[in-house]
Amino acid sequence: MVTIQINGKLVQAEKGEMLIAVIRRQRIDIPALCHHDAVEPCGSCRLCMVEITKKDWDGWSKFVTSCLYPVEPDLIVSTHSPRVVELRKTILDLYLARSPKSEIIQRMAAEYGITQTSYQEVPDGDNCIMCYACTRVCEELGCNAISAVQRGHKKIIAPPLGEPPVDCVGCLSCANICPTHFIEWNDDNGKRTIWGKQFELVSCKICGKKTITRDFAEYLVRKRNIPANYFEICDDCKRTELTKSMGKIVIAAQEISK
Amino acid sequence: MKYRFVIDPVLCTGCRTCELACAFSHAKNLKQGRSRIYPLSHAQDKYVPITCLQCDDAACVKSCFFNALRRNEITGAIELDLNRCVKCMACVAACPFGCALFDDIHNEVVKCDLCKGDPACAHFCPTKALKYTKL
Repeated sequence: MVTIQINGKLVQAEKGEMLIAVIRRQRIDIPALCHHDAVEPCGSCRLCMVEITKKDWDGWSKFVTSCLYPVEPDLIVSTHSPRVVELRKTILDLYLARSPKSEIIQRMAAEYGITQTSYQEVPDGDNCIMCYACTRVCEELGCNAISAVQRGHKKIIAPPLGEPPVDCVGCLSCANICPTHFIEWNDDNGKRTIWGKQFELVSCKICGKKTITRDFAEYLVRKRNIPANYFEICDDCKRTELTKSMGKIVIAAQEISK
Repeated sequence: MKYRFVIDPVLCTGCRTCELACAFSHAKNLKQGRSRIYPLSHAQDKYVPITCLQCDDAACVKSCFFNALRRNEITGAIELDLNRCVKCMACVAACPFGCALFDDIHNEVVKCDLCKGDPACAHFCPTKALKYTKL
């Protein structure tokens, strides 16, 4: 256990834990877009910046991204000092210039008192903020279907060569983790389209309800050793089937006890 | 494991008090959660309360790529860490008993976590068909 000081309060933390986890456990709200517990932290959105110092640093302090900074003994953290707030305001101002239509960025900026960006808005600026949450989650799944392509201001997240990705299984993890809801997909008529690739959805054998994509089911069978027949029927029908088989056992047990 | 969640289907009358207790105890933002327990009928006036069986070799745990589903060693329940969940629906599709559910209202995956060792359904069951007892 390590003792650190957050906004003047002494707090216990596990060794090796990242600062953001400790700060959020204290119910202190610091904004972050790229952070998600499911994936490795990468510190690309810069919004979770905090100011840290120590007693023996002679009054010096530095700014670190709390999602990437492991706790150290005797650390003094301030999450809302005037300099951090100023820093965060600048970042949000820049985000607002880049993605003026994003609701989450508008909301976050409004919390810091920014409703209109002081920079020039990017013409046709999309909602992608290059946080790499989607590529990191795809990597975690073991698919690596998407990555950043091109360089500089032309950089976008896309499948290789701009073609429908071969390795994508259509699980929607990337679309769900995207903080600004930029990744588009749609389910229509038993087909799912994402990244320009079309997937067939598994239909329940009994009621016809659509569950996950066939590619994802096959991926789970292959990678995680789950029997293929688990994916044949939907969760509602599985419960009904379980009730029927349990019912048979109950009736048989009652007859034996008579 | 000290305690076990015991279901006695013979005693179940299908009154659905457990469903209400579950939905209310998992309420969020002043809205009821989706119930994790369902007393389903298999014959006339015969019910079996269906809920997560907390399997030893659980398909939901195996299917999760993000370690969001982990067993709580104290209660024995498999708990879902919503901060780690990315809603890929792998556990919902993989559970052979259909007990990992998707809550449309709160837009999140839910499963029985035995209320962190104090199941509300067992408290409210009028016929004691649901029990949380020492084995």
